[in-house]
Amino acid sequence: MSSDIPYDPEVPGLDDDCEDPVLCAYTEYVEGDGDVEDLPATGEDAEGVEADVWEALYDIEDPEMPVSIVDLGLIYGVEVTEGDDGATVEVLMTLTYSGCPARDMLTQQVEDAAADVDGVARADLRLVWSPGWTIDMVTEQGKDDLREFGLSV
Amino acid sequence: MAAAEPLSGPDDLSDDEREAVEHLLYRLADDEFVVAERYTEWQVRAPTLESDLALANIAQDELGHARLWYDLLEDFGFDETDLVWERDSGQWRQSTLTELPFGEGDWADVAVRSYLYDVAEELRLDALADSSYARIRDRVGKIQSEEDYHREHAENWLDRLCEDEESRERVQDALDRLLPHALTIFAPTDEAVEDRIDELGLRTRSLVDMREEWLDTVVPYLESLGLSVDEVELPEQYDTHHENLEMPDEVGRDQSHTEAWDDLWSEFTNSYRELGRSEASTIMADPDDVE
Repeated sequence: MSSDIPYDPEVPGLDDDCEDPVLCAYTEYVEGDGDVEDLPATGEDAEGVEADVWEALYDIEDPEMPVSIVDLGLIYGVEVTEGDDGATVEVLMTLTYSGCPARDMLTQQVEDAAADVDGVARADLRLVWSPGWTIDMVTEQGKDDLREFGLSV
Repeated sequence: MAAAEPLSGPDDLSDDEREAVEHLLYRLADDEFVVAERYTEWQVRAPTLESDLALANIAQDELGHARLWYDLLEDFGFDETDLVWERDSGQWRQSTLTELPFGEGDWADVAVRSYLYDVAEELRLDALADSSYARIRDRVGKIQSEEDYHREHAENWLDRLCEDEESRERVQDALDRLLPHALTIFAPTDEAVEDRIDELGLRTRSLVDMREEWLDTVVPYLESLGLSVDEVELPEQYDTHHENLEMPDEVGRDQSHTEAWDDLWSEFTNSYRELGRSEASTIMADPDDVE
């Protein structure tokens, strides 16, 4: 993944001091205690190009489970900067697991989906790891989908 | 150690700052990559199906963590090809503990090695949680959350293996062999650069500090299992509790390595070289690049 976006150490809207959420130990999900009031991000208040990007991201499913990556809580934010030749989009995204074997596939799908949106000139993806993903970041819709799939959440 | 000033992002570091960040990242990334590479040798060979899966999963964790650290080297313009496939074996900085081959069927080695490594890993992650470099600091929590069970896994095996005299002897053999190499986890890449890492607050505890706590943790635990560290010779300057202790000739951090490392490096870069690749493979062309 490459990003030409200027470096910004702080993820907007996220609490950088999030307390080490514990997850995935023994593949059981422990409730995180991080302050993640702004997550999950779903883009429900977004308008224009940003709303279209969220809609495109909604169509991408987790490779192992029939749940949208947005409902799974992997998307931490979408930033749109309007330019003369179209918008530049930056998607902030995390993964449930650092060793995720589908990392390249998923990040490519997300970049492509965002880039295909009308009015978008270029799309970049930045993987972020703080706060770490926890089951708390799954939306109600996502929890329903996971239950439907047979998981206990 | 007083809190240091926050450092700039990767594009705005001075040469000295960047060198310090790079040394620190190579220490972390190379350890994780190489220890995982060794662990994977046990796949379909571990003593039980459960232990096979557990070790494979730990290896996958460590590969994920290696990637998180290599990502930060990519900030400086390197790519995966530069960092893994085309980096000469003499440029790597992993501790020699991670690169040593396993004896055939020597599961005691796995238990000892991963215990010594994972205790050290906990200490060094703690020392990075308040790093002055945000790109490092932001990744620590994720890694810690995935490390929790590694040490417990190793301790469970050590506890079990040390209940029986014969298997305890095998653990002792592994310990005698590995402990000197484990000390290289705390060896400097270069004294001046390591001092700078501390001064810049990239790491909030010095190597010497962490090594002392590591010894204070692992020695009493190992002794409680009926193991002895008296036979292990740790170097004097590396320990206040034990005299006559010696590090191996090759310490890894300074890019000196054991013979086993060249073999391992040749093996994991073999396909890359045989296929005459000049870049890491991708499954298909990026649709955006296709006319």
